[in-house]
Amino acid sequence: MAIVQRTLVLLILSAYTAFAAGPFVWAALLSLRTTTEIHKNQFALPSPAHWEKFPDAWFNSNYAVYFANSLQVVLAAVLILTIVGSMAAHCLARYKFRFNRVIYFVLFSTIIFPPQITIISLFQILVGYGLYNTKLGLILVYVAIQLPLTIYILESFFARLPSDLFDAARMDGYSDWEIFWKVALPIALPAVATTVILNFILLWNEFLFAVVLITDEANRTLPLGIQRFIGDTQEDIGMIATGLMIAIIPVIVVYAFFSEKLIQGMTAGAVK
Amino acid sequence: MAVVELERLTKLYPGSARPAAEDMSLTIADGEFMVLLGPSGCGKTTTLRMIAGLETISSGTLSIDGTRVNAVPAKDRDIAMVFQSYALYPHMTVKDNMAFGLKRRSVSASEIERRVASVAKILGLDGLLDRKPHALSGGQRQRVALGRAIVRDPKVFLFDEPLSNLDAALRVSTRGEISALHRRLGATMIYVTHDQVEAMTLGTRICIMNGGRIAQVGTPLDVYNNPADTFVAGFLGSPPMNLMAAVSAGDRCVRAGGSVIEVPADRMQPSRSGTALTLGVRPEDMELGEASASGGPGFVGEIVQVERLGAETIVIVQCHDVGRLVTRRPGDARLSVGEMVRLVAPVGAYRVFDQSGLSLQPKRS
Repeated sequence: MAIVQRTLVLLILSAYTAFAAGPFVWAALLSLRTTTEIHKNQFALPSPAHWEKFPDAWFNSNYAVYFANSLQVVLAAVLILTIVGSMAAHCLARYKFRFNRVIYFVLFSTIIFPPQITIISLFQILVGYGLYNTKLGLILVYVAIQLPLTIYILESFFARLPSDLFDAARMDGYSDWEIFWKVALPIALPAVATTVILNFILLWNEFLFAVVLITDEANRTLPLGIQRFIGDTQEDIGMIATGLMIAIIPVIVVYAFFSEKLIQGMTAGAVK
Repeated sequence: MAVVELERLTKLYPGSARPAAEDMSLTIADGEFMVLLGPSGCGKTTTLRMIAGLETISSGTLSIDGTRVNAVPAKDRDIAMVFQSYALYPHMTVKDNMAFGLKRRSVSASEIERRVASVAKILGLDGLLDRKPHALSGGQRQRVALGRAIVRDPKVFLFDEPLSNLDAALRVSTRGEISALHRRLGATMIYVTHDQVEAMTLGTRICIMNGGRIAQVGTPLDVYNNPADTFVAGFLGSPPMNLMAAVSAGDRCVRAGGSVIEVPADRMQPSRSGTALTLGVRPEDMELGEASASGGPGFVGEIVQVERLGAETIVIVQCHDVGRLVTRRPGDARLSVGEMVRLVAPVGAYRVFDQSGLSLQPKRS
């Protein structure tokens, strides 16, 4: 009976893994084949494997620049989001002040707006401030669009921290500022890691704001770079897949680095 | 070492009609173990937090060693507090938890090391210094919380229901440890609890609170034997004091049901005949006898419940004239439900309270 059960579970898990990882494996295989080979047979194995496509994309298709731009923009945005979001969430969760819940509601309510609604006004604002077509402008926009979700996730975590901890730190002689850095933030690391991963992945793949707010080749991010291989009448599927594989590496690195904390953050409170 | 003085201390939270603590006047002597005892919501934790500096004081004066500290921040009062939830920093080791307060006070690393090691040894934590709180048992966490307070060598220790999260056996042993610690350190300690056993066993004096006010302050035996009002009489003791509706039968005579009891002069001031009173008697002072027995005032009734606790038996008797009375008998008492019995107590065991619930016992000089 136990063997049947185990086999059933393994079958279900294998099917789900195939479903989830299948497209990734397919894209990985495509990245080692040329577009001509792919047009002949979409599902064939790479034979021979064209590893030279990776340096080709990196050096000859400007991927090095796009990659560096993406890294700068996303790391800066995630850093600002993490610091500002944690502080705001701690403040909203910990301190009682007038309009606390109103501020929280207003912040959170911005999540309901689809990005298409704000993009024209954001474009105008960035042009007005001379930030259009700059990485700084894109960083600020990314911070603005992701801050409500970041605060929402972190606030619910900070609110669960017992107030006795903060009282104990006050009795130990620490100021509010020190309590945030030395007590609240270290304890909230699993939740912070969750927001870091979420923000990193979302912003790393972000296309809409980047395509509207960046036109200069020198400031383009990776998703825009991949778009270069899509023409009006044809697309270089092989190079798109290679670009995707290059783009996905940082996401895997970030996930591997923070995944343990991410799981802790998602399961916090589930067990005593 | 410190003397803590509360003078008409009041806390009124914004938007609240009633103060959480009102007119609290109390002097806690140097080296005294004062227990604030009362039911939930009586204002004992609020009072403790005002002393700690974690709550602002609405009115009144709080002094430590004669210095008014109303506006002094918590960190500058030289007070340490042990919290109900232990409040250990989960991301720090036991050692770091204990050293956290000292680091802020610019104590040298070698001195921190020495103090932490010394306190850890006293509390039996020496082998656990590198563990994090989640890897400790409830009792060990409680000892770390105690250690964190002790290493700071503060003027005053505050305890906010520190044993309430422990199981019964551990509570008893930790209670003993806190008591031993008080004897060893000789420090001023203020301890909040709703558990009367903790209060009776730990306190040099007990301050019983009710509805935000002090109901009575005294030594454990004094408040137990001479309750200031019906609240204290009903709150202290398990089972609590039997309270019966009664009327004055002139001078120091009290009529309860069909019995007239002549209360000794040291137990009751004379009262006008016909005045409504409350008569109280502790369960352990009530003897059980044959229902048909005569002689002296007593209350006849039927046993409705027998609770055998091993060392003792709690017997609940339904009397037709004064309602339910509880008595405490030896563990091997042969009693059964439905039996008719007569309850009697020596006249010196009775306590008398006026209509407002205050004791009519003459004030001792």
